[in-house]
Amino acid sequence: MLNAFVPLLLDSLANAALIFFAAVGLTLVFSVLKILNVAHGSLYSIGGYLAASMCLFIASHHLDPHLSFVALLFSAVLVAVVLGPLIEFSLIRWISGKSEAIQILVTFGLFLILEDLQRIIFGVQSYYEDTPMRLLGTTTLGDVVYLNYQLLLIGMALAVVIGLRFLLRSTRLGRLMTAVVADREMALAIGINTDRIFLIAFSLGVFLAALGGALSTPTSGIAPGLGADTMVLAFAVAAIGGLGQIEGAALASLIVGAARVIAIYVAPELDAVAPYAVMLIVLLIRPYGLLGTVNIRKV
Amino acid sequence: MSRINISRIGIASLAVAVGLALAAPARAEDKPSSVGVGVFTFTSGPAAAYGMPGKNAADLMIDKINAKGGIGGVPVKATFVDEAQGAQGVIAEYRRLVSDPANQVMVAALSSANCLALAPIAEQIGVPTVGWNCDTHQLLADGKSKYVFRPNGNTVPEFAAYAIYLLERNPNVKSVAIINPDYAFGHDAATIFKAVLKALKPDVQIVAELYPKLGSPNYQTEITRLTTARPDVVFSNLWGADLENFVRQATPRGLFRSSQVILALGETVLQRVELPDDVIVGVLGDGWWMSPDAKANPAAVEFADAYKARFGEYPVFPAIKMANTLIFVEAAYRAAMEKNGGKWPSRAELAEAMKGSRIQTLTGTTETRSDNDGLVDQIVGVTSKVPGQSATTITEMVRYKGDQLMPKVGTDPIAWISTLTPEFAKTLPKPGSYK
Repeated sequence: MLNAFVPLLLDSLANAALIFFAAVGLTLVFSVLKILNVAHGSLYSIGGYLAASMCLFIASHHLDPHLSFVALLFSAVLVAVVLGPLIEFSLIRWISGKSEAIQILVTFGLFLILEDLQRIIFGVQSYYEDTPMRLLGTTTLGDVVYLNYQLLLIGMALAVVIGLRFLLRSTRLGRLMTAVVADREMALAIGINTDRIFLIAFSLGVFLAALGGALSTPTSGIAPGLGADTMVLAFAVAAIGGLGQIEGAALASLIVGAARVIAIYVAPELDAVAPYAVMLIVLLIRPYGLLGTVNIRKV
Repeated sequence: MSRINISRIGIASLAVAVGLALAAPARAEDKPSSVGVGVFTFTSGPAAAYGMPGKNAADLMIDKINAKGGIGGVPVKATFVDEAQGAQGVIAEYRRLVSDPANQVMVAALSSANCLALAPIAEQIGVPTVGWNCDTHQLLADGKSKYVFRPNGNTVPEFAAYAIYLLERNPNVKSVAIINPDYAFGHDAATIFKAVLKALKPDVQIVAELYPKLGSPNYQTEITRLTTARPDVVFSNLWGADLENFVRQATPRGLFRSSQVILALGETVLQRVELPDDVIVGVLGDGWWMSPDAKANPAAVEFADAYKARFGEYPVFPAIKMANTLIFVEAAYRAAMEKNGGKWPSRAELAEAMKGSRIQTLTGTTETRSDNDGLVDQIVGVTSKVPGQSATTITEMVRYKGDQLMPKVGTDPIAWISTLTPEFAKTLPKPGSYK
């Protein structure tokens, strides 16, 4: 019994971790800026491409392979620092407060531009770089060999949930974000620089997206089309959890991860549709998602 | 002669002149300034790992043909179409290309799904369309194709060969798990592989069948599922980036140690990923650039060296399939021109020349049957590291003759497979016999 349960549990958690990294940035940006960023998937794949490129550079120049762990984090920071403010200043600020249709069209345009830019910069072939995965080795649980990197991802996803919760509930910046989310006009009236808060929140969302892409590279290849696939999955998870709900995204990732794993074990033909079947069922019962409410401006 | 008659004669002469001018391009004897060939393959996305060797080979072969003066003195001009855009885009590109009579022949396509989508259009418009990969046996199953050809063979001999090789090498196999891509190629291969096992060793159990989406980057859950199923054998026809991802993820997790793994398209990653020893691999045909036949053929050696010099690695079997396909097309032009006295052939004449042809390729022969399917030999072996060679190679090879594993024209393939017996398998060459 235990032998059957442990693989199911670990695979579900490992899947959930990858799914959570894909969705959490989207959820954060929506919760603070109230903008559904369709280009989120592209930021995820840019993080992946950059991380793989850096790790390949480290390998080709015979540098200390442990630097590849730094490269994973640094690539996400670089994407956030460069693209976060650039996109927020040039597009997001402009469409803030506009209708949802305009927001979606503009960010979809951005998605197309970023996808083509990736093809121009990184080419159209797949990238592979698994140094971090190999460095961490494996662990045998029951009769199954797991990558320690998979276990690390589970821990990192948990750390991100706790870190975001701490940021939003226990830091001054988090309280300012919460105030802006609760009532932007009132926040402006009491002197909060809402533009700055939006810039930080959006850049943090970009960082989380790029971090997700970077962390996925050691176990998955990066290829054109990854951004679109990630986007669709991230939307499904965000909708299941309740748009704008960080804990909702975590819960939804767990459910979707488990659904996919159970599908692969029991009915493999349902693997691809499992996340969307879960979304359909949840939205039929709770149209605002698992933790969403009619007023979804909670953080 | 009256003025009216003169006018009538003038109009009639003009009509005849215009008619002749319009008819001129359709006349077989007029050689065009160049011959257009549409080449369909994946040049982007995860499938490009398989598709780009095909494109590279096409570039190399067309340059070689043109360096010798082209086909019958006419240079070849290729237009490449990326199949990664999806079936609708591929169909639109195909229609656009064939609407120009200068594009006489299409080398289309890689994906079985795209081949199935293009075949009815090829027949409707009457354009010789040569599948350079197109493995699914469903493509020419009705035996009525006039314009669609596949010189590289189909899924039936390709995957029957693996099952037969496996049973010869591991006669005590009891359980098998399958992980194939979720579309026609993956499901067809599983059906054929299981049918051959059922016919030759009915007690073999299929303990897991997984069909991940084509282009999936992550196989960790599937690897756990395969490991926990504890199969004697894992069979897979994953390909392109999917195969590379699977190998990179499965190797450290010990799947290659716990089960005998068959990677039907494993040869394509031998120069890119380190595969353990004793993995059963093959080339879905005879296109192994280091096979004894290829090494004995100066043209194959020249091609492999030129490919290595230009692209930095030796030609994997998709490259050989493309090269052999272009040899097939060139041979059809020469045969058609020979048949009509050196005149440039029409599309119909070109298709006619492809029928029933027997062509010497880089790695063997391809014989086109009456249903337009090709008979090619099947090479299967196991991975092995040979001292003195940097990359893993294939040893313990067998070469099954093209017609040995191919059902007769008009026969239902699965029904034919069910008639196979262990006695039939004993008549086939043994692993290690191809040296």
